[in-house]
Amino acid sequence: MRILVVEDEHKVSDLIKRGLTSERYAVDVAADGIEGLEFVATYPYDLMILDLMIPRLTGEEVLQRVRRKNAFLPILVLTARDSIDDKVKLFELGADDYLTKPFAFAELLMRVRALLRRGPVNRSSTLRVGDLELDRLTQQVRRAGRRIDLTAKEYALLEYFMQNEERVLSRNMIIEHVWDQSFDGITNIVDVYVRHLRSKVDDGNLFKMIRTVRGTGYTIRSENET
Amino acid sequence: MNRNSLRLRVTTFYVGSLAVALLVFSAAVYFGVKTFLTKSLERMLSNNAHSIISDYLVPLNQKGESWLVAEMSESYPAGYSEPFVRVSQGARVLYQSGDMRDPFVSISKLPLPSDQKWFNTFHRETTTTGQRIVLYTVPYQTPQGSVIFVETGAMIEPIRHVLRSLLLILCATTPIILIAAAIGGYALMSRPLRPVVVLTEQAERVGRKELGERLAIIQTGDELERLSFALNRMIDRLETALAHNHRFSADASHELRTPLTIIRGELESLTQMPSLPAPVLDGIGSALEESNRMAKIVHSLMTISRLDCGEDKIEFLPVDLVEIVAVTLDHMSLLAEEKHINLRFRPGAAVYVAGDSMRLKQIVVNLVDNAIKYTPDGGDVSLFVTAEQKKGIIVVTDTGIGIPAASLPLIFNRFYRADQARSRESGGTGLGLSIVKAICGVHGGEAFVESSEAGGATFRIELPLLSLSAMQIDQLKAAGPFEFLPSEHAKSANTKSPVSTRIL
Repeated sequence: MRILVVEDEHKVSDLIKRGLTSERYAVDVAADGIEGLEFVATYPYDLMILDLMIPRLTGEEVLQRVRRKNAFLPILVLTARDSIDDKVKLFELGADDYLTKPFAFAELLMRVRALLRRGPVNRSSTLRVGDLELDRLTQQVRRAGRRIDLTAKEYALLEYFMQNEERVLSRNMIIEHVWDQSFDGITNIVDVYVRHLRSKVDDGNLFKMIRTVRGTGYTIRSENET
Repeated sequence: MNRNSLRLRVTTFYVGSLAVALLVFSAAVYFGVKTFLTKSLERMLSNNAHSIISDYLVPLNQKGESWLVAEMSESYPAGYSEPFVRVSQGARVLYQSGDMRDPFVSISKLPLPSDQKWFNTFHRETTTTGQRIVLYTVPYQTPQGSVIFVETGAMIEPIRHVLRSLLLILCATTPIILIAAAIGGYALMSRPLRPVVVLTEQAERVGRKELGERLAIIQTGDELERLSFALNRMIDRLETALAHNHRFSADASHELRTPLTIIRGELESLTQMPSLPAPVLDGIGSALEESNRMAKIVHSLMTISRLDCGEDKIEFLPVDLVEIVAVTLDHMSLLAEEKHINLRFRPGAAVYVAGDSMRLKQIVVNLVDNAIKYTPDGGDVSLFVTAEQKKGIIVVTDTGIGIPAASLPLIFNRFYRADQARSRESGGTGLGLSIVKAICGVHGGEAFVESSEAGGATFRIELPLLSLSAMQIDQLKAAGPFEFLPSEHAKSANTKSPVSTRIL
């Protein structure tokens, strides 16, 4: 998988490159819009990560020009602007997804994976992480066969965790997925809900599945994979 | 009527000047007339006296006293009023025109002239019947050496009567003239002042809406045209300054976001390193948390500045406040449960306002989050949604620690914290209530706070009510976002300051 990062801020592109390389992606970096267009024309990329504020050509222009030639290249836009208007405009210009700076690398990685995902998405009715089972049809959750009663919010939260086993989910990602943007301002809503979920899932078990990744967010993992 | 209006002041000024001028004029007329009348009376008296001397006293020697009496009773008949005359020699009266009948003045009772100082002068006497008269006494030296006095006199009353009438006329007409001038002038002033009124209205409109508009130039060629040009130039400068400000916010935000991204990324990649000692991991974690908070502050600041300068286009749709509150509370119930706080809300009939549901939800989220944060374990947080007088109202009341009276007016300010230590600890950005105020602003609403020292705070959000029937609401919803001018809606309410505070 080859990814092009168009970003003039050397340190940012370096971080993305390091992170994605360690995830075994091949990464090229272009420092401005013109160079970015040249790279796209030269190499077959599977994904482009495009910063909007770049020299020589604006991100929007690069986006439009790439889309004119290549309708299928997934493009993830990095933006410092986060108004709804800006976001709508980005999708109209042909972006597939966007990420607002500053972002957690885990979130970038997740979006990259989602955009690169090939083949059918795991849509089976039962999610499994270790001895934890979630049945999407009956909305029942069991751990080691013992039934766990969850509220609607806790269920949505756990489903999101289990869909992303092993991945770190930032508070921002969780808010956007389980609540909505208007809850963004609240201080600790995610922590409170995760704490409750954790007590229901992990209490009485030796292995604690829901882990805190300090400063970043939460993740769920099973015993056998550690 | 505004007591300070230019129109009133100009009118007052010139009516005042007119009043002074009229007073001076009236005084001049009054005293002029008085002097003229007095002088002509005196001239008549002296003429009469001297003509008596030359006509009757000089030939007295040849003609005799009886001739004098006969001649004089023809010219100055007895009982005839004015002027009365008396010719006397020593204590003997040679002739007198007699007492007057109407009004009754008994001239005969006047003392005969004796005092030297009255000779050849005009002096005033009061008769026994109380009439004021003016007298003129001339002594005549006969060739025989004796002295004959000639007295002429007239009543002052007619002059006084004329003067009284004059005064009455002046006193009556002056206020009438002044009132007429005031009314006329006030009406007249409206013409030259109309461009000013138009200019003011335009300027107010520009202030309320976008700065993009300009005033229509008043082509009168006078000072007002200059003023409208000057105002437009000022708006230009304001617009440039604001544009710079926006640019600065956007740039600052971008410039802050990029380093924040780098800090985050570097810290995150550090945590991936194997076998880091626990204190290092702890330090990195703490730094990450702070960078998160910084990101949140940058985000909130941007949100507020965009709302304040109207950069975010709000999609107005009919929104049911009851539903918004119910849904939001459902999402937040656990926050209250954690602190054993009773979160109370009893949904009633729908209350529709025009707004952006995400933004309105954010109001509820921020207020409820705030209330829970400052309410101790086991307290109450209650919400009410009502419709009152064209307003949709959300009230959030808590039984928390309350807000000191001194803090109330500042509570919606950016970064204002009533209790520094406490709020930092709870990890807020200090911008939640500013966002509430800004969202209220773009919806043409207002935010209020009340609190007592004893504890408990009440936040009250007032939004323009969409008082339409259920069918109209459905039609509006189906039609999609609509044009809604909160500023027009809120115009009447804007006389109050947008954020007012009341202390119970």
